[in-house]
Amino acid sequence: MSRKEELVRWLEKELDGNFISAEATIPGRLFIDLKREALSAAATGLMNRGARYQVGVGYDARKSGQGFGLVHTFAFDKDSLLVALRTFAPEDDPEFDSLTPLIPGAGWSEREYQDLLGLRFRNHPNPRRLVLSDDWPEGIYPLRREVPHDLMPPAAEEVAFRLEEAPPGTSIVPLGPFHASLHEPAHFSVYVDGEDIKGCEYRGFMTHRGIEKLAQTELTYNDVPFVAERICGICGSVHSVNYAQAVEAAAGLRIPRRAEFIRMVALELERLHSHLLWLGVAGHLIGFDTVFMQAWRIREKIMWLAERLTGNRKTYGMVIIGGVRRDINQDRSEDIRAVLKEVEREMLALEKAILKDRTIHKRTRGVGYLSREEAVKWNLIGPVARARGVDMDARRDHPYAAYDEVQFEVPLADSGDVWGTLVVRVKEVYEAIKIINQCLDKLEKLPKNEPLSVDLEGPIPAGRQGLSLVEAPRGEAVHYVLTGEENRPERWRVRAPTYPNLQAVPSMLLNNKLADFPIIVGSIDPCISCTDRVLVVERRSGKARLLSGQELENLSRGKRSKK
Amino acid sequence: MWLWNKIKQLAISFRAGMVTLHYPFEPRPAPEGFRGQPVWDHTKCIGCAGCASHCPARTIFLRDICQELRILLYDSSRCTYCGRCADLCPEKAITMSDKFELATDNRQDITQSLELFMMTCQRCGRCYDLEIKNYIDRLSSLGYRYDSLEARKVIRRSTADFSPEELEKTVTYERPGRLEK
Amino acid sequence: MKVTAVIINLLYFLALAPFLEGVMRKVTARIQSRQGPPLYQPYLDLLKLLGKENLNAAGHPVFRLAPLLAFASVLSAVALLPLAGQSSFLAHSSDLMTLIYFLTLSGFFILIGALASGNPFAGVGASREMMTIIMLEPVLAMTLILGVVRAGSLNLLAATGGVSSARGLSYFLMMAVYLVALQAFVSRQPFDIPEAEVEILEGPYIEYSGPNYALFRYTLNLKRMFYSWLFVAGFLGFWLPGSPVLNLAIQTVLILVLFVLISVVGATHPRFRMDQALKFYAVLVLLSLVAVGLGVRGW
Ligand code: SF4
Ligand code: SF4
Repeated sequence: MSRKEELVRWLEKELDGNFISAEATIPGRLFIDLKREALSAAATGLMNRGARYQVGVGYDARKSGQGFGLVHTFAFDKDSLLVALRTFAPEDDPEFDSLTPLIPGAGWSEREYQDLLGLRFRNHPNPRRLVLSDDWPEGIYPLRREVPHDLMPPAAEEVAFRLEEAPPGTSIVPLGPFHASLHEPAHFSVYVDGEDIKGCEYRGFMTHRGIEKLAQTELTYNDVPFVAERICGICGSVHSVNYAQAVEAAAGLRIPRRAEFIRMVALELERLHSHLLWLGVAGHLIGFDTVFMQAWRIREKIMWLAERLTGNRKTYGMVIIGGVRRDINQDRSEDIRAVLKEVEREMLALEKAILKDRTIHKRTRGVGYLSREEAVKWNLIGPVARARGVDMDARRDHPYAAYDEVQFEVPLADSGDVWGTLVVRVKEVYEAIKIINQCLDKLEKLPKNEPLSVDLEGPIPAGRQGLSLVEAPRGEAVHYVLTGEENRPERWRVRAPTYPNLQAVPSMLLNNKLADFPIIVGSIDPCISCTDRVLVVERRSGKARLLSGQELENLSRGKRSKK
Repeated sequence: MWLWNKIKQLAISFRAGMVTLHYPFEPRPAPEGFRGQPVWDHTKCIGCAGCASHCPARTIFLRDICQELRILLYDSSRCTYCGRCADLCPEKAITMSDKFELATDNRQDITQSLELFMMTCQRCGRCYDLEIKNYIDRLSSLGYRYDSLEARKVIRRSTADFSPEELEKTVTYERPGRLEK
Repeated sequence: MKVTAVIINLLYFLALAPFLEGVMRKVTARIQSRQGPPLYQPYLDLLKLLGKENLNAAGHPVFRLAPLLAFASVLSAVALLPLAGQSSFLAHSSDLMTLIYFLTLSGFFILIGALASGNPFAGVGASREMMTIIMLEPVLAMTLILGVVRAGSLNLLAATGGVSSARGLSYFLMMAVYLVALQAFVSRQPFDIPEAEVEILEGPYIEYSGPNYALFRYTLNLKRMFYSWLFVAGFLGFWLPGSPVLNLAIQTVLILVLFVLISVVGATHPRFRMDQALKFYAVLVLLSLVAVGLGVRGW
């Protein structure tokens, strides 16, 4: 009996009348509808069976008279199975059981819907505001249908997030909202005793761009990939492919094999340049700027290659629903092979030079340590988890595109520190090169004039669910799509890999030195804007206001006097 | 050991030579197939609005001034250079050029606008059929266009859930109080 | 005549110090496969900063005065130096202690300025700077004391000359120690800890802008040049030809070479953490003590 049948049978028996239906759309997916009362029992059951929590998705289902929907998704990595539990709550009582006491990684998802949809979660340990800006008016829930996507309430002056007081014996060093080691706005208020970090509070979500809301109200299915690509400045294709896969899964569309391989090439090229980028940034964060420049010099070859292949160095614009837009023909595939060969040679030299460098060991070994158990507890993913010996990789565990047809290894390390993530990422570079070469082999064997994309037979029916995973360079990214009317998704939820990883950063920082802060935060390769993607431009001030030099000076002085 | 390691690192650097360019004094031409700023060919455009309807950035606007005159305005400041418009144009009136140095302090520099003389169809008053087979694409064709060229905003009449009252209400919402000092 | 010698001292240092930074940046850029800024870029930077507004973010007179005082003290130190093997005009009214005093004073004013700014990053930077001064100033002192021991006089010319007067075990040990410490004196990797950009955003200087910041930059440039000059004059002073002009030329070339070396080391190392660096410094201080001990024994 497969895991799927076993789960369905168990849920039917255990939940009794609270179980509504189960639907297996495509292999490896199981969508279950439950009554709200049974949610935590079902989640507990799944976790006891070895599931890994992924993400919560809330949506406004009032149009169909169901109130508010809440979906929690779980992964069974050993069985290549993703399970989504969906429940509804009526409009006048939008309250659910909180899963956070059971699964700490669910904390952010729940707080998000508390802010965005006005859902309430019983027994949430820390029900503070997470996503919305501090001066966002109470009682407007931006993800609800009646709120327009370009709503911009006037700003309130002098409203600030109440950061907690520093514990006795420590003082606060504010790392953020703008700090040279964080390349995007995020605020870590770090408690230090001398140079030792004793704790930290995080306030993020400062770069919402309202992308999900935009897709649900303004864009159409085929516009979204291009917007999705802009969720992240590094792993754009990850999001566009992921979104397209979710829609295709919902629509029951099978894309041409040629397109699958081309998507894989784009994804792996992205992994290559992302890991090289990380290597460079890591070098910069420990003050080793030569590594920074050299890694980026190698990376530049890949960027230029991407520019020749796709027409742009970063936003590839390759993906549409049903396939891809540009072909990789014989010439291009030779071009790729030549560049990859060079990159591999350079990378080997660089690896030898830096992995053996004792001074780098000094700055990375034992820094940002987290044990395997904690990594599992916090649902860490990607290289951050693999550096802690957690053997997981969505490409192998939940194969998408044509990853089941290529051979590759999943590098692991067990040191549990920044060094481990460094080693894992360097090794993954070679695996990516291997995968691309295999894809090119396969592409060359496929018939040349196969179409690059397929068309839909008709409009996509509303109300279908699609769930897709892509192993981004930073870990697995999850996209959930619920199809809707008017040629656009009813709900599209993006969970970027930084989302779970960032939640564990405070525990990684504990008892390290302040000087190690940049590299520890850097070790998860944080992508703040991916994480913050959701909704509504958060702006301190809706109106443009020019500050004179004197005013600015007063402002900074005022801040100082408070301290 | 340490010294050998450092020498190896230096060797990597020197083998690579100097790779940065003297940009902007030394131009770097864009490769073939580059997706730069789209350029419109007014002799080919039939004013079908295919590009405007599918631009993910919604930065192509059309306004019917009268029965015979349609204005197409493209504002590069929001363009994402995705090339969707060039792909979808049935007349191939749009080419993705290799222009990418578009920074300017005058929006007009990167705006293109076409005045299109339209013929009236004897039967339907508008002669245009999206020559695209994709249903997804076909679904969102809009018919007459009254986009606001001044505000550079696509005016959609199909957003069913949009309520102007809601927008108005927010101005008078109660704000969270000031922080007590 | 003697007064001109002091002016030459000042001019030489003031003119050359930013150029050395340019050399450092160019060499670093080459190692990073970049073109790098032109050699005269630091002069332009200083000019640019001088033309900018002086923001007194702390609103404290100390904050405003600190850069001036730091600059003044380092200039005073420079004026005393026996450049090109010639005793300075001021030599009879100053000695080694005066020099060390002025140098420490300039470091002290940087600290004061940082603390007056009230910025937490400046605070962390200042505490790091302080630890560096406490740990490394002895190395400088020991080097000069070695010269004093050899020459038997506190006179600056005699002391710098004394360092290399006998090239025995103590000389080589001290030279090695000084070379390593030099990396910290000029605050390049692995010891650029007090300024670490990604950690504490240039630490002590974070709140400074415009002319005040330019003064600090200039102060640092002068100090860095001084430390490498001391190496050249002290450890390599024994084979100077004797003619002042030739002396100066050779010293300049040697200083340039030294800066190339510093840049190469700086570009091939990550930054250490303070705790790691302190262990390092402790060893350096111990070794320098040993070297002086050996020097006293005449080895
Ligand atoms: S390139 Fe893309 S964003 Fe730009 S106008 Fe064309 S469709 Fe719109
Ligand atoms: S799609 Fe082509 S023909 Fe139609 S309006 Fe746009 S540019 Fe003109």
